[in-house]
Amino acid sequence: MIVAGIDAGSKFTKVVLVNENKEIIGTSNVRTGIDHHKTVEEALEEALKAAGISRDEVDKFIATGFGKISVPFADSELTQVVAAGKGTYFVWPKVKTVIEVGAEESRAVKVDENGNIKDFALADKCAAGTGSFVDAMVRYLEVPLEEFGRMSLEAKGNIPMNAQCVIFAESEVVSLLHNNVPKPEISRAIHDAIADRVASIARRVGIEDDVVVIGGLANDVGFVDSLKRELGTEVHVPDKIAPELVPALGAALSGL
Amino acid sequence: MMEVKVRPLECWNDFKKYRERYYKNYLEAKDKGGIRWAGSAWAFDAIPHGLGEDVYPLTGEPYGATCAFFHEFSRQCLETIERKGAARDLCGYMRNYWGSIAQNKYLLADGSIVEPFPRPDFNFTIHICCSHAKWYHYAAELENGVPTYAVDISVGPGYLLDDKKINYVVKQLNDAIPWMEKITGREYDDELLIKAVYAEADAMSTWAKICKLNQARPAPLEEKSMFSLYVLNLINRSDPEVAKLYHKLYDEVESRVKRGIGALTHEQFRFFTDNPPPWAFLKVYRYLEKEYAAISLGAIYTFGLGGGWIGMDEKGEKWIWEPAPTPEEAGVEITNREEALRWTAEYNLRYRASWQHEYSHWIRKLETYQMIKDWNADAIIMHINRGCELWNMSTLEVRDYLVKKGIPVATYEGNMADPRDFDEARTFNVIDSFMQSLGIERISEK
Amino acid sequence: MGKKVEEVPQLKQFREWFDKRHEYAKEWKRENGGKIVGYYCTYCPEEILYAAGVLPVRILGSHEPESITRPYLHDMYCPFCHDTLAQGLQGRYDYLDGVTLAQSCLHMRQSYFSFVDRVPNIQWSYYMHFPHGVNNPHATPYLRWELEKFKSAVEEWTGVTITNKELDKAIEIYNKNRQLMKKVFELRRGEKPPITGLHAMEMVVSSQVVDKKDHNEILESFLEDLKDVEVDRETGTRLILIGSEDDDRSFLELVEYGINYPATFVYEECCTGARYFWDEVRPNEDRLMALAERYVKRIPCPAKDWAAGELIRRRFQHIEKVIKDYNVQGAIIAQMKFCDPHELDIPSLRVLFDKNNVKHLTLELDITQPIGQFRTRVEAFLEALGEEDLFF
Repeated sequence: MIVAGIDAGSKFTKVVLVNENKEIIGTSNVRTGIDHHKTVEEALEEALKAAGISRDEVDKFIATGFGKISVPFADSELTQVVAAGKGTYFVWPKVKTVIEVGAEESRAVKVDENGNIKDFALADKCAAGTGSFVDAMVRYLEVPLEEFGRMSLEAKGNIPMNAQCVIFAESEVVSLLHNNVPKPEISRAIHDAIADRVASIARRVGIEDDVVVIGGLANDVGFVDSLKRELGTEVHVPDKIAPELVPALGAALSGL
Repeated sequence: MMEVKVRPLECWNDFKKYRERYYKNYLEAKDKGGIRWAGSAWAFDAIPHGLGEDVYPLTGEPYGATCAFFHEFSRQCLETIERKGAARDLCGYMRNYWGSIAQNKYLLADGSIVEPFPRPDFNFTIHICCSHAKWYHYAAELENGVPTYAVDISVGPGYLLDDKKINYVVKQLNDAIPWMEKITGREYDDELLIKAVYAEADAMSTWAKICKLNQARPAPLEEKSMFSLYVLNLINRSDPEVAKLYHKLYDEVESRVKRGIGALTHEQFRFFTDNPPPWAFLKVYRYLEKEYAAISLGAIYTFGLGGGWIGMDEKGEKWIWEPAPTPEEAGVEITNREEALRWTAEYNLRYRASWQHEYSHWIRKLETYQMIKDWNADAIIMHINRGCELWNMSTLEVRDYLVKKGIPVATYEGNMADPRDFDEARTFNVIDSFMQSLGIERISEK
Repeated sequence: MGKKVEEVPQLKQFREWFDKRHEYAKEWKRENGGKIVGYYCTYCPEEILYAAGVLPVRILGSHEPESITRPYLHDMYCPFCHDTLAQGLQGRYDYLDGVTLAQSCLHMRQSYFSFVDRVPNIQWSYYMHFPHGVNNPHATPYLRWELEKFKSAVEEWTGVTITNKELDKAIEIYNKNRQLMKKVFELRRGEKPPITGLHAMEMVVSSQVVDKKDHNEILESFLEDLKDVEVDRETGTRLILIGSEDDDRSFLELVEYGINYPATFVYEECCTGARYFWDEVRPNEDRLMALAERYVKRIPCPAKDWAAGELIRRRFQHIEKVIKDYNVQGAIIAQMKFCDPHELDIPSLRVLFDKNNVKHLTLELDITQPIGQFRTRVEAFLEALGEEDLFF
């Protein structure tokens, strides 16, 4: 039996294929275009190609993510909360607190020792704790995304970000640049500010080890470092699979 | 899933007509030489009754909710008042009310709009949250100086009341009477006051009895309908006709329980809500019903806003969801003004459930927890309401308490009276996530 | 030649107390062995605590970003209530024995509840049902009753009987503090105010966090020294600050020291300014009645200022008087984000300023301030005010 988990996110569409032994046999990650249906098809094609199988061999399609409605052929839908919980529990069985930071939304999910969802919290309508905040800031700093995360680790960390809002934060970054504040310091200030927002959501469900962070921003070492400091505990990033693929994996596993 | 017998409520139209008439009466009061007054739904509305039988109130919160229900009118109200410098995070009801005055447009229950906004002869209100008295203070300024009197009721929860606290409120009520006489030029009739005070307790305690009937399985009422029923206690509860309507409703609901008639055809999940709902998006309730056969049994809001309940026990250790005694049940006879004022002050301060938890989040935790237990609910879905800081006080502490007690809790953010603060897709996402995490299946998938 | 104001040692003392308030409190405890109670709102009748040998200190924020209060307080509750709770959760008030709130706005209430429950060192707490209707005549006798209960609770907790003699002493010390600070404020009515709003804020806030006896001592010599101060700054536009807990130094520094157009605050109508100390306790055989009268009749916080029969706001009457007495040219309304009581007054307050020909600017304060944004707006405001003086 083969199940496809399709996570139609606002920025990227991810597909994970699993077999009946819960083995990952193919994955894909495609930038979401204007035509969501087309993106879903592309992502699926790519994952099938990676697995070396044809579409007919897939027994079930489970959709999740912001754009799950763009998967008309899905056999069922899984909410992002359950997908995040299920997927993370599979790749990190000791997890108790899942923190997912996506492009436009972040959430925290509390799971028990059997992987059941005990509680969850979603971010308020605010971009300050999401991946799109990083995108906006990277544009101002004019550095590649990977570099942006790495340089944060070099910073001394003595520049606080005073603006609590993305709109104000942008102008604050501009004035920091004008004042010749080194870019690593600005990067650190931005990461601390995002970690602050994300931590405040996570604290609503209570921080319990192990804490695992998933979603695209989990690839940003600067962010993970800031989050660790903010929460005062170890923050794990899944090692078996790219952190942004975890919800798609959760969706696929739910179909088995 | 077992199918439940469902019938429309027979007295539905009586309530609907009363409400329609109410907004019209206020509008047309002057044609008949009557008196208009405005104030909070929590004002001591029995007091103006003593001015005569042609005295017509307009209570601000239900009016604000009515505005919110009609999106377009609400948007115009909100934008008008924001241009005058009113902050967007202020009470949503109040901003709709102010905006309606500022536009000089008045909304009737059916959504029709008339001009001008009918100016009250006076404002008479209470002050418990940061807004109430100041709401009418500014409204009075917008209307070129309507005489305004607000009664401070911030004396603490019912179980901590003492004579001096009650007297403080009674004295303010006592002063209000000559003040009203002076403004209206009328002589005050204590007999009418006494009648109104009896009617008030009757209406509020009867509503509590009706809410208790919802403990039955299947539940005879769902919350969305309750919104249309509890409102009479918020617009004119001291009118003896309101008490009569609640008795009629009680009889009907009691009979539904006996006959096993429910509010929904399927009832697989019983939940409570918290806070005023997002009035412009009551479809949240329909969604839960249709997709998950989930019934909202009520809320401390729906039960407590217009209901008289025993509340905290004397020691302040447990919340008791039992209807408060009426004067007859308490063996009290009210014969004069002083007794009437004292009764209405004490009844409201002691038994108005929605006033109790303003003084401690501990009260609200016990109140909510006990409700979930007594009504056998499976969960609570809390509206984190940006439109009312009073109802929003303690909500996150309550959430934390309930989760620790093992009660499933979901929260969604919105605004009771500002449609711009509500995100439909996100809210349905919360609901789906919650239901899926609890293993509640969609009935559409069955 | 007198010395420059920045060199006046008392100002340095105020600043040190402001900065090292927690160290001061711990030191006080070591020296006196007494209890310390944190209070949340300036309606707290501090004299009663002081008469029992307790040091009352005001709980304030630190203006640093935090993320630890979000599980307990909603985002739309004001930054002050988040910031104060954050201080407690971070253990910065670990020396407090008790905490109290004289009932005021909802946000502070919520923060107080969580503080009591979640700050582990709090052994004693008291929520006083302080009346909101300070413009109605029954509020004073009613508050007297609430004070009586408060006094009993303090006595029971501390084991100290609060005598009239001790109350008189406390009232005397507190009144003296009020008189002295008022005298300092009155020096600002002149053409060249010797101190800025920043100095005034540090003076008033330091008074809220130290023993008034110590504060009085410094205040007395401060008044003396101020006589010889040489004012070396250009006063510029004379501003009134309207607000609440406006203890963010960065904001005051920006307005008075960080803009190309000179400006000086000559009066702070806020609870870290005049509202805290302006009114004295008037002697009365019944001491609690005297206190009740003072706290009911003081310049009200907007949370308590509303019509009880007459359509007046006492605070507005006071502001109009200050505009004249202090020759105010411009107003900065420092609105604590999400503070309903202030927001409820702002539309009418703007009308008041317009009527009095006082230009006004509203800024929304958060835990930390977007100084860049503020600079642009304050600069434009002061520039426009300056232009009014041009003639051709």
